[in-house]
Amino acid sequence: MSVSVDVAVLWPALVPIAGLVLVLVADLVVPRLRRVPYAIAGVASIATVVATIPGLGLGGGSARSTFCISAAAGASGASGAAGAVAADLPQTCLWQADALTSTLQLAAALAAAVCIALAWPGASRRRPADATSEPVEAVLLLAALTGTVVVAASRDVGTWLVALELATLPVIALVALSGRRSAVAGATQLLVTSLVSFALLVLGVALWFAATGSPFLTPDAALSSGRAQGVGWFSYAPLGPGETATTMSGAAGATVVAWPSVSAGVLSLGVVLLLAGVGFKLSLVPFHAWTPTAYSGASTPIAAFLATVSKVAALAALLVVLRAVAALGTPALITIGVLAALSMTLGNLMALRQDDVVRLLAWSTVAQAGWVVMPLVSVSALGIGASATYLLAYVIGTLVAFAVVAVTLRERPDGRDLTAYDGLWHRKPWRAGALVLALTSLAGLPPGIIGLVGKVVALRPVIAEGWVWLAVVAAVNAVIGVAVYLRWLRGVITAPEPTSADEALPVTATTAATLATEQRRVALAGLVVAAAVLVVVSVQPDLLLRLLG
Amino acid sequence: MSWIVRMIVVLPALAALAGLLARRQRLLAAGIAIGMSAYVAVLAFIQWVAPARTADIESIGRLSTGALQVPLHLLSDRLSGLVALAVAVVVLAIQVFTAWYLRDDPRYGQFAATVSLFATGMLLLVQASDLVLILVGWEIMGWCSWLLIGHDSQRPEARRAAYKAFIVTRVADIGMVVGLVALAVRAGSTDLITVLTASGHDTALTVGLVGVIIGVAGKSGLIPFHDWLPDAMEGPTPASALIHAATMVAAGSYVIARLFSLYASHDGARTLLAVLASATMVYAALLAFAQTDLKRMLAYSTLSQIAIMLAALAAAPPDIGFAPAIGHLVAHAFFKALLFLGAGWLSVLAGATALAALRGRLHGTGALRWSIGLGLAALAGVPPLIGFFTKDSVIETSIEGATGGGGARAWLVVVALFVTVVLTATYCARAWLLLDTPLAAAEPQSGGSPNAATGSDVPEAVVVAEEDLAVVTAADSADDAEVERVHAHGHAPITLSAALAVATLAALTVFGTLLLFSLTGALKPGIVSALLSLLLVVGAAYAVWTLSDRGRHDVADRVPSHVRDRAVRGFGADTAYVGVGRAVTAVARLVVALDRDVVDAYPRATVVAARGLGRVGERSHRGVPSLSLLALLAGVVVIAVLGVTAWR
Repeated sequence: MSVSVDVAVLWPALVPIAGLVLVLVADLVVPRLRRVPYAIAGVASIATVVATIPGLGLGGGSARSTFCISAAAGASGASGAAGAVAADLPQTCLWQADALTSTLQLAAALAAAVCIALAWPGASRRRPADATSEPVEAVLLLAALTGTVVVAASRDVGTWLVALELATLPVIALVALSGRRSAVAGATQLLVTSLVSFALLVLGVALWFAATGSPFLTPDAALSSGRAQGVGWFSYAPLGPGETATTMSGAAGATVVAWPSVSAGVLSLGVVLLLAGVGFKLSLVPFHAWTPTAYSGASTPIAAFLATVSKVAALAALLVVLRAVAALGTPALITIGVLAALSMTLGNLMALRQDDVVRLLAWSTVAQAGWVVMPLVSVSALGIGASATYLLAYVIGTLVAFAVVAVTLRERPDGRDLTAYDGLWHRKPWRAGALVLALTSLAGLPPGIIGLVGKVVALRPVIAEGWVWLAVVAAVNAVIGVAVYLRWLRGVITAPEPTSADEALPVTATTAATLATEQRRVALAGLVVAAAVLVVVSVQPDLLLRLLG
Repeated sequence: MSWIVRMIVVLPALAALAGLLARRQRLLAAGIAIGMSAYVAVLAFIQWVAPARTADIESIGRLSTGALQVPLHLLSDRLSGLVALAVAVVVLAIQVFTAWYLRDDPRYGQFAATVSLFATGMLLLVQASDLVLILVGWEIMGWCSWLLIGHDSQRPEARRAAYKAFIVTRVADIGMVVGLVALAVRAGSTDLITVLTASGHDTALTVGLVGVIIGVAGKSGLIPFHDWLPDAMEGPTPASALIHAATMVAAGSYVIARLFSLYASHDGARTLLAVLASATMVYAALLAFAQTDLKRMLAYSTLSQIAIMLAALAAAPPDIGFAPAIGHLVAHAFFKALLFLGAGWLSVLAGATALAALRGRLHGTGALRWSIGLGLAALAGVPPLIGFFTKDSVIETSIEGATGGGGARAWLVVVALFVTVVLTATYCARAWLLLDTPLAAAEPQSGGSPNAATGSDVPEAVVVAEEDLAVVTAADSADDAEVERVHAHGHAPITLSAALAVATLAALTVFGTLLLFSLTGALKPGIVSALLSLLLVVGAAYAVWTLSDRGRHDVADRVPSHVRDRAVRGFGADTAYVGVGRAVTAVARLVVALDRDVVDAYPRATVVAARGLGRVGERSHRGVPSLSLLALLAGVVVIAVLGVTAWR
């Protein structure tokens, strides 16, 4: 068995790991610096962005692959069953990064960089000796980013599971890290849900292996469940290579015909369990309950990380599975449709009632997750591309919204109230402009063109497959969603200029701001970067669409 | 040749633009307006002398509109040549006169530019060989009329009159647009020739012809749209002359003349036109008789005269066609412009337009006296003036139509025409006697009648009952601005050029008949009808002469005062308009209420439902891990069952 390793392909995963190690080393050497870990983490995530760029230009199904197990070696080294699978293939690669994967990795790295900028530590250059939160936070952020990058490219169940957990567990710690009561409550809920979900994932993976006999999450593996019964876990009469060939040619006996349905059923159960496990990370209803608690408990940058990088990880993981299943020609998955409809509806209805912007964004995440998975009812290249497009549009919009909240929170302590944004247009026109663009893009209204494009793209496969009821639910939710975001925007734009009585607050805010000028500047830079990306893709949505083919 | 046709349309537009840019330099603005209209008049004269008979002069190229052909061609023939010449001459005279008349107006530049634009609209309509261009010219005139009538925009009466004119004609224009669209759809093209030669689609034809009649009724002031025109006297006198003489109100006759071959084959539409025109003709002449204001009297006479043209179109036999109507259009253009400019001149001398204030003021004014005398005589139809020939041609044509198969429709027109002849002669004689009889002769009898229109003894409350009713009082001058102008600046002597303009129009009133020889069939007086109408005119004039005791009284005072007052106010047509407006507003309010309380109830119900569901959702999310675990497990079971059963 020979495994080829191409390090150049692995850079997107290696860079954050290197950054992680660097942070630890730096902390070991100069333990009391507060900003260095963040600087390293920021540089590492930006370097990750750069490392993913070579993968963006890949078109037409080509991929940058590594960890490839060549066919001959596989046949001689593995069991007969696995060998039979491998025999069909020239080689199987454990790491495959095509344009879609690279784009998701890039989005995750960019979002992580912005989150790190938002989390930039405060004024004093040196931290007290007993506090260790900065390097820990930096390490955890980088670890989660690594997990996200790896899960997107993984093609075997082992890597997939480990990477997904690597993307999840650090986030739980990050939520808990601020130490507030609400943070602990949020982290607890997140942890409990995540454990159960992990159990589901493992069960799903086990069923996958049972049905396909293959540890690979590839189309060939999925196909083998339908045709090569001999390799299935449930096949009590293993067949030789020759007999496999005959079943493939269609001359199968009665005993052979009996098994596919069981095998397919097992596979379907496996896929559905995987969906449930990932659905927790995507906060799909009914696996969403942790979302508002965790978001409002965590600090704003961490909430932003949860809402963006974690979502990218979850969708990337789901896409790995679905792209494998897509080869079966499964026309549609009603489960996904139901989850999408439930998530949108509940998320929007709840978001409509929130007065805390972080909770509002949390519920909006739930609703948007519904939109993200909705195109996947059509398990096809079209649906997968649409889903990724919508995810990116959502990630950019949410990132900007969270950045505005984070920057505002640094100026005024009541920055999480919806009323704190009244009259923002008069006080901070640029920031208000960014918020308007972000929220309209989430709502799918001009000037947030990218949100509108995303909604259209997401609806296209649904309509194409004839899921009319789902399209109707989506349309209704688009309307409710408009109400959700305009409720926030109304105060931003229409509220009159602050009267003299309100002036007291900005004054204290400025004193606070002067104390933390640099902190504020870095956070603002994060906001500017995110907003710039949003503006670019809003002006030229073509860019994003072309990235995803 | 075709460039002349294009220039005739384009130059006034350029003049309007240039005049607007140069509006602050008074001399320059006047130079542009007069120079350009003089040049256009020369071009129109050339076109009239040597008309190219063509209907496919390119304007701005065809529009790409898919199945519908929109070539946007202009045309040139004897009809367009004659009318264009009349329009150009009248516009020139008006521009020259305006330069003197509005000598103190700070907004003279805008006014002159608007007149140029107005001329563009009319000339475009005259030269158009395409329904779209006709509509464009039509709309330009509608908009310019709003500007011109409301020129003295600081006065609420002027603003109200402008809006009234605009809204009333706008409402009627709905019919015009629908009609033109129907005709275009029927022919598959907006080209005039194609439209005239298309066949089939009777419904579209009916809709088209009736729609155009409605639009024409609006702009030409047929009943029930007539009431905007007397109010339009709020505009400066040159604007009234322009609107009444050659352009806006006459445009309707021209459009129907252009579409005559379609109307000739459609009895229904012609009957509608005949009824409207006959009623308007008589009714407006009656009201003209009762008016206490010179300009308003002229306005009602315009309504009556335009109705004569339209009646000619309604009653003419197909073989004679539209020529008599167009002949009367041209004649009316000359004598009505003459009358209005003369009235403007007189009002500057007298400082008023109310007949009571003008009594005897014409005596001893030389050229002005001659001009107004000629104008009134032509209006009444006294030979050998142009009005006599054209009106008699119309009567003769109608009689031919009646005897030649026109039936009741044409007979109605004939009867109405003879009645109008009598009435026209009556009000012309009355006006002349009032204006010309020296005041000394009338003095002893002045104020003898309880409701003599001698001034402010008519109580305001009787007339102006409500603020949004007509603001005309029996003794009021229609053109208050003129009164103010005279009070402010005194009686400036007329300039030679302005007097020449009036004199030219007077000359055309006398000799203009010669122009009409260029249009076949425009002049066909019949001996019998001529003698009869002459007899009627003389009889009516004599009756007025006697009844008014040789001009010492106002013969209209013999009308019972309660009838007279209401006649002066147009028998409450304005109130009816206001009523219609209120009804429409009420319906709109009803629709709004229905929309808000019935239709919108469903969307609002979703709001309530969304809020309620949100509240339920909030109660069920208490943020404890056990609940979320429960949801998770239940969800897994559900989707597992769903997923496995629905797999493929």
